[in-house]
Amino acid sequence: MSYLIFVLSSMVVLIGLATLLHLQFGLTGIVNFGVAGFWGVGLYVFGILMVDLNLPFIVALLLATVIVGVVAFVIGWIVLDLDDQAVLVATLSFATIGFYLVTTEKWLTKGVVGFGTVPFPFDFGSSTELVFLLLLVTLTSLVVLYARRIRSQPFGRLLVGIRDNEGLARSLGKPTFRQKLVIFTVTSALMGFFGGMSASLNHFLVPYLLSPTITFAAWIALILGGKRHWAGGLVGVLVIGVIFDILIETYAPIPTTEAAQMIPNIKYMLYGLLLVLVIMFRPEGILGAHAPRRPRREKPNV
Amino acid sequence: MSTLTDPLVLGLFGAAPLVLAAVGFTLIYYLSGFINVAYGENVTMGAYLAVIFNVKLGWDFYLTIVPSAILAGLLSVATFVLVFRPAMRRGVGPTEMIILSVGMSFFIRYAARLLFGIELYLFDTGKPTYFTLAGIGITSYQIIALALAAVTVVALYLFIFRTGYGEQMRALAGNRDLAKASGINPNRVSLLIWFIAGVAGGLAGIFYGVFSFVNSDIGWNLILIVIMISILGRVGSVRGALVVGVGAGIVVAFVTQVTQSLYAQVVLLVLFILVLKLTRTSAAMRG
Repeated sequence: MSYLIFVLSSMVVLIGLATLLHLQFGLTGIVNFGVAGFWGVGLYVFGILMVDLNLPFIVALLLATVIVGVVAFVIGWIVLDLDDQAVLVATLSFATIGFYLVTTEKWLTKGVVGFGTVPFPFDFGSSTELVFLLLLVTLTSLVVLYARRIRSQPFGRLLVGIRDNEGLARSLGKPTFRQKLVIFTVTSALMGFFGGMSASLNHFLVPYLLSPTITFAAWIALILGGKRHWAGGLVGVLVIGVIFDILIETYAPIPTTEAAQMIPNIKYMLYGLLLVLVIMFRPEGILGAHAPRRPRREKPNV
Repeated sequence: MSTLTDPLVLGLFGAAPLVLAAVGFTLIYYLSGFINVAYGENVTMGAYLAVIFNVKLGWDFYLTIVPSAILAGLLSVATFVLVFRPAMRRGVGPTEMIILSVGMSFFIRYAARLLFGIELYLFDTGKPTYFTLAGIGITSYQIIALALAAVTVVALYLFIFRTGYGEQMRALAGNRDLAKASGINPNRVSLLIWFIAGVAGGLAGIFYGVFSFVNSDIGWNLILIVIMISILGRVGSVRGALVVGVGAGIVVAFVTQVTQSLYAQVVLLVLFILVLKLTRTSAAMRG
């Protein structure tokens, strides 16, 4: 039971990340491949603030969010005026740097030995995990609802304008770089916020958590669900999570322990295959675009 | 004295697989215009193919190089024909192509992990002879790998800049419509480029294996640096990839001498981001 709650909680966090990614990529067109970095910095900063400095839960969480926001602001300020491929590589590099530093800075993070134990913020006896899951559901719902609302607000329309034709938006007098920086900083900081929540969820922090897997899980979910749709991340995570994490890992009859060890590999293999198939045959994902119009694609160059 | 020459020698050896992979990656980037993350898996598979021939079948190490490289090239062609070409024909944009290649990369990497497990393989190269070069101990196999890498890079360079096929290739990458109007068959040239890039990637994997070990992550660990080199060396410039590749190898070796190797990666990535910022003017800013 408690394992199922853990899986569900992780899925809810992933929904939050994928929805934030929708705001960055689907709405604004920022190709952030550093999700694991922002999430992971939040994870470790929160853990260190709470365990080493004994700060109260909420203070540590807000401070971690702000610190990730500052990091995101600096990175955004450096890369957001570059083209897509440069942004992709730079954010991926940032996440990789985070992964390396968490491994090497043993005085702070205990390295591969692991850092712990990060407690839950409250204690309701045996239902603590369930209450924490409900808290996560509430927070993630807020993010999803905001993603739904922003599309019809001037700020959301401006972001779509930046995505579709940044030069035009700027020539109309819109401060495109500043707005991109704002949305990138805020959404990345919130990824750090979810990282802090994940620290309580995982209790024990190891550098492996910061591997790019979570970045790609969020991307795969968003692309599968529909990158332009506010519920794309939600639907993508539910489809992937229900199929792979709950049905297969929990209920599938697995004959031997050797076969059980293969399951994660098969899972990631199928993740990859799914991503390829969706982009080739249904690039707008399951839900399609939320807006009535479809963006024109560039001329193919084989 | 040693702080000056050691990084140079080490960097040269470390850079050999890096430069090969960067040249191969650059060819695809140049021709098809997207970042092929799955190229890292091409490197991994080259190394694994050599593991099959050398470790599992017990062939002599030198005999394994050519068939492994050719099979890696065919694998690259297969990914192109089965996935990337259909996707491009369906009009998938450059950014989506990158995400697609990430999916391919996941698929191949975890398939390889299923087949080969998580263990580290070492090539069975027999008993090497040890040399000392400028105060650093190296094995004969490392020297041979470096020499072979150098030969391959020179051959690639000559092929691209001195032969008819190379000219067709450059024409196709430069202006596709004009090249087609001049009677160049884009399909054949594309297949050839993906094959050559695959061979270069496979060789990079094999040589990487000679210097350390083979597991399912070697390509992934290499690809970020390779992408950086390719972007910095001015997209598609084979000359640029050569220069930046060797430079990156030497910087890594230098920082490794001073601190831990993970710091070297960190320094390199930070440097790359800064250079990226300084050298690239944004398409959006111009548009």
